[in-house]
Amino acid sequence: MEDLWSVAAGVFQVWMFVVVFLIMLPAMFGLSLGVTGVYIQILVKILEWATIRIQRGRQEQPSVPVPLPNGIIERAGGSMEEEMVRLRRSRSLAGGEFALSDAFYFYKKGLESIVDDQVTQRFSSEELASWNLLTRTNQNFRYISLRLTIFWGLGVFVRYGVLFPLRITLAIIGLSWLVIGTTFVGFLPESSVKNWLSELVHLTCYRICARGLSATIHYHNRENKPKKGGICVANHTTPIDVVILANDGCYAMVGQVHGGLLGVIQRSMVRSCPHVWFERSEMRDRHAVTSRLRAHVAARTKLPILIFPEGTCINNTSVMMFKKGSFEIGGTIYPVAIKYDPRFGDAFWNSGKFNMVSYLLRMMTSWAIVVNVWYLPPMTIQDGEDAAQFANRVKSANADQGGLLDLAWDGGLKRGKVKDSFKEEQQKMYSSIIVGQNGLRSQRACAESTEEQPCYKHTET
Amino acid sequence: MGASQTRSERKHQDLADRTGFSPEQIKNLHKRFQHLSGNEETISRENLDSIPALANNPIRKQIIEAFFDKRNQRQDEVGSCEEIGFEQFLMVMSHFRPPTLKTTDEEKEALRKEKLRFLFNMHDTDNDGTITLDEYRKVVEELLSKSGAIGQEAAKAIADAAMLEVASTNVPHMAPDDFYEGITFEHFEQILKGLEMESRMHIRFLDVDTTTMRCGKSTS
Repeated sequence: MEDLWSVAAGVFQVWMFVVVFLIMLPAMFGLSLGVTGVYIQILVKILEWATIRIQRGRQEQPSVPVPLPNGIIERAGGSMEEEMVRLRRSRSLAGGEFALSDAFYFYKKGLESIVDDQVTQRFSSEELASWNLLTRTNQNFRYISLRLTIFWGLGVFVRYGVLFPLRITLAIIGLSWLVIGTTFVGFLPESSVKNWLSELVHLTCYRICARGLSATIHYHNRENKPKKGGICVANHTTPIDVVILANDGCYAMVGQVHGGLLGVIQRSMVRSCPHVWFERSEMRDRHAVTSRLRAHVAARTKLPILIFPEGTCINNTSVMMFKKGSFEIGGTIYPVAIKYDPRFGDAFWNSGKFNMVSYLLRMMTSWAIVVNVWYLPPMTIQDGEDAAQFANRVKSANADQGGLLDLAWDGGLKRGKVKDSFKEEQQKMYSSIIVGQNGLRSQRACAESTEEQPCYKHTET
Repeated sequence: MGASQTRSERKHQDLADRTGFSPEQIKNLHKRFQHLSGNEETISRENLDSIPALANNPIRKQIIEAFFDKRNQRQDEVGSCEEIGFEQFLMVMSHFRPPTLKTTDEEKEALRKEKLRFLFNMHDTDNDGTITLDEYRKVVEELLSKSGAIGQEAAKAIADAAMLEVASTNVPHMAPDDFYEGITFEHFEQILKGLEMESRMHIRFLDVDTTTMRCGKSTS
């Protein structure tokens, strides 16, 4: 019995030694022992082998299905005008006249939308082109070979048995360090020492948390890093975005006051450096929010604000509409593009499907999180541009750098419906096509038809 | 896995034979159906209404209604349902299945007639076999804008002019007091005789995997 205890104590000591000295301390100083790098390389080799094996398996067993990551139908790319012209030319119609065949364009578009559309697929996880040996992405893949299954089994053991406990330990250490550290720093009087210490505490804590997710982050263009008094905007995929960005610099967070554990963390963080937390009632008042953020930005010594203008999590294949509220505050905007590598784990938080805890568990049992972060050059609003146009410009730059699809749709469509005004747009476009410069002709036709006797009777005027 | 998969495979094969889609396409459509229905067995009008890209479309009400119209189920029933299951969803979609390499000319002609019938049903909302002036005008009004480029009067005039044209094409020597019933299906076919439909009115499914194509066997 005592032997068992001493063995357990010994294991625990070794465990803590590994965690503290080999992972935590280097993380705090921003160093790396290179273990994660080697791990990722081995993983890539295994996944490449797995992909080739699956492809070979597909050739041998033709019933194995193929995933279609870009949607299931092919769409004609023409605009409404091109299609209409083509339709009408084949019928030799002039302008100002309506033909039944004009409606065909709309039928086809409508049916295509029902079969496949660009928006609803953004609110569920990306389908991978090849299996990455995680059960959760195994919707399309079946038994191919024994070796593949063995590797998958090994993977399960490694991820759940070895990596998961390690990561949980690190996460707990990281979060408690954050709370304790920031509380202590909060006792100091306002001074540059306090700021420096607060930055140190935040950075080390986030670095530990990042190790807790086996996150490998590649930062590009660090000369464009957001400076004090600026606003940092980024595309939003998961709450982990915050950890990813805060690994490289300190930001002032913006968000709602929560209860529970998150509330404790929020309250302690705000003691050491000025984050902006809103009460739920304040969030609805847009002016209150904007003025508080404006005050923060105007004091040029405060940390840059971090905002996610999409307003909700998107699945990292596209960037959706940036809400213009963030761009009305003024100040310099520092856009940041974040792209997760889907081979190593699906970082998207599907808040309808998973709650926060199960999401974090999923993250901690993935292979790893590999991220590319690009800092884009700062942008400011130009003359003659309104906030919405500025938002679109920033969004395009963001999508371009991250290799994401640039969509104009609102991320709020995850939960709500489209406004009727969109339909009006299409109607206006069609009207102007068929009337065009021939408005006169249709009016003349109207006059003619009322002069002679109509050949048919109306049932109502 | 295992048994349930072969059962659904058999069901898919059965549906494939009846609708003309390939089992692969049926599987993709099934996934889409489940997405739209929120993993339920049936979809209602609200589910289709919530597709953002469809909200753009001026005639979306007619398109959605077509899915619930029993006339499109090829069972000679009339009326409309409140909810449809996957099989009925597929039946409606099958009007727009892509032609394969094996389709003969008669089959192509039959397909074309089917599509025209589908579109005719979409306009003939009261199911009396004709598209009356009111139904026609409704289509035109839906497509044109209620504000902006065309006013109410002009829209009405365009609809009337179009109807007049149709009437004069089909019944050239109408007396002034004759009552024009409306466009029957034969008139409809005649109006759209010259229109090339094959490339416009079918859904082209993507077929990513070319390694499984074998010579002499089409995989559309």
